[in-house]
Amino acid sequence: MNLKGRIISEGEAQGSAVVLESAFSWIGDFDAATGTLLVKGPLHGQSLAGKVLVCPTGKGGTIAPFIAYQAKQAGKAPAAILCDTADPILVESALVIGIPLLDRVTPSPVKSIRTGQTVRIAGGQVTIDN
Amino acid sequence: MLLTQEEEAMARGEFGLGIQRCMEILVKFGNAMGAERLIPIASGHTMPKEPPELLRNLTEGVKSTGTFTTLHSLMDGFSPESCKKMGQPEAFVRQESADFAQRREVYLHDGFLQTYTCLPMLVGNLPRKGDFCSWIGSGSQLMLNSLIGARCNRDGTVMSLAAAITGRTPYYGLLVDENRHAEILVRFAGLDFDKLSPVQLGAIGYHLGAVAGNRNIVLDGVPRDMGLDRLKYLMAPLAVTGAVGMCHIVGMTPEAATVEEALGGKPPAQVVTVGMKEINACLAQYAHTGGDVDMAIFGCPHCMVTEIKYLAGLLDGRKLSSNRRLWIGLPHQHYKLAQLMGYTEPVEAAGGVFASSCMALIPNAPLPEGVKVVATNSFKAAHYISRLSKGRAKVVIGDMDRCIAAVTGGTWKGGAE
Repeated sequence: MNLKGRIISEGEAQGSAVVLESAFSWIGDFDAATGTLLVKGPLHGQSLAGKVLVCPTGKGGTIAPFIAYQAKQAGKAPAAILCDTADPILVESALVIGIPLLDRVTPSPVKSIRTGQTVRIAGGQVTIDN
Repeated sequence: MLLTQEEEAMARGEFGLGIQRCMEILVKFGNAMGAERLIPIASGHTMPKEPPELLRNLTEGVKSTGTFTTLHSLMDGFSPESCKKMGQPEAFVRQESADFAQRREVYLHDGFLQTYTCLPMLVGNLPRKGDFCSWIGSGSQLMLNSLIGARCNRDGTVMSLAAAITGRTPYYGLLVDENRHAEILVRFAGLDFDKLSPVQLGAIGYHLGAVAGNRNIVLDGVPRDMGLDRLKYLMAPLAVTGAVGMCHIVGMTPEAATVEEALGGKPPAQVVTVGMKEINACLAQYAHTGGDVDMAIFGCPHCMVTEIKYLAGLLDGRKLSSNRRLWIGLPHQHYKLAQLMGYTEPVEAAGGVFASSCMALIPNAPLPEGVKVVATNSFKAAHYISRLSKGRAKVVIGDMDRCIAAVTGGTWKGGAE
């Protein structure tokens, strides 16, 4: 299956998808030292390191881009982010760590992609392998 | 995005690698937000918590910040002058001191002003109405837009750093006239503002932040002579439970001589009324059933010299009980002023510690051993400390008198303020 999005931060990436159904925050939802999710529910403890993070949008505090940078330095940052709407903090964070970020992805990535599927991103094109 | 010739040259790397990297971030961000151009800023204010490698990367080849730039409070309660007195763990102090020393080199070289406060307008960073700025800190952004009438978006740490280095920011959002009007009209029922305590003012902000979300609001009925030492308690929580960037106060905000002006001549999307019921509901969230308090925290936002004077009066001739702590966040410039006027001596003699750092994030240090109950007069500090301590500490809210009584031999009387 193929999806298409708007390029905010360009690049190529491939990785296993981690799909969050609610807005993602680098603070509170994520541990930069281990790269794992702190969200409640089945994704708790799931690693984002080298994965493709899929979420509706971002939220949370303004220090987030530094947290993303720390994760990147530790090798614990996601490889790319796909979302419906990129909030300013998600944009800053992806730009500062230089990973691909696409928003306005259609059809909605949160609905079309399942956790664990392999996702390839090249330019504005997204391919889901099974 | 349309760039000037000079900006094109900056983006091509003609002014060095740091400027080029910052421009790349600003332009890509601006494109994502639909900005058509960059705009020069009158001042910057950045967060002194950069991973040192990132700071060096973005300032490589830079000789000076691109605009007058101050620095925010030191994060996580770290203070090079006071960490010993605060009793913070050695490993934390060692790591923070090493990073601090690396950042300081860049700040000195590039002329970042080491103000270390969340109230930069108090220490010389005072833009004028209509100026464009890029500041970090949700509370300082809100006060800049609402009290001074300068213009600032809710930029994050990297955008504000890139803006300070280049002297530019994308022209969008709250920088643009039509995005500054209020959507929500707030009226007050049965409140006498002159008699409301700072804690009660904080409760109003805490309630309204949750109502407003990220929408602009206008408050009708706040007396125009309210000082910044009280206003900051009302305003800061709006960006804690919500993400408010613009809070007009009729008669005070330079763009809100009247309710109609604040609303931009349109009818409000929502009208909200606040009274004692809403204030008491917020206070109840941080009520203490009574008993011991291990630690009192003031200075979120940073204390002003007038508050230190009041605190000195409260603590004159008193001492903290054993195993009790009192930390006060303030700009180090106001510490000097308070010291000159004799206000710091009684506070320090009683066992209080001053620090030019952020009191809302102290659990990251972490909290000193044995601290189970923290009392503060700040809704913002209470909100963040209770969440960051992950259940280790209970946080209760009360005015300075009540907090001080509880750590100097008295106990906390039950119930809300």
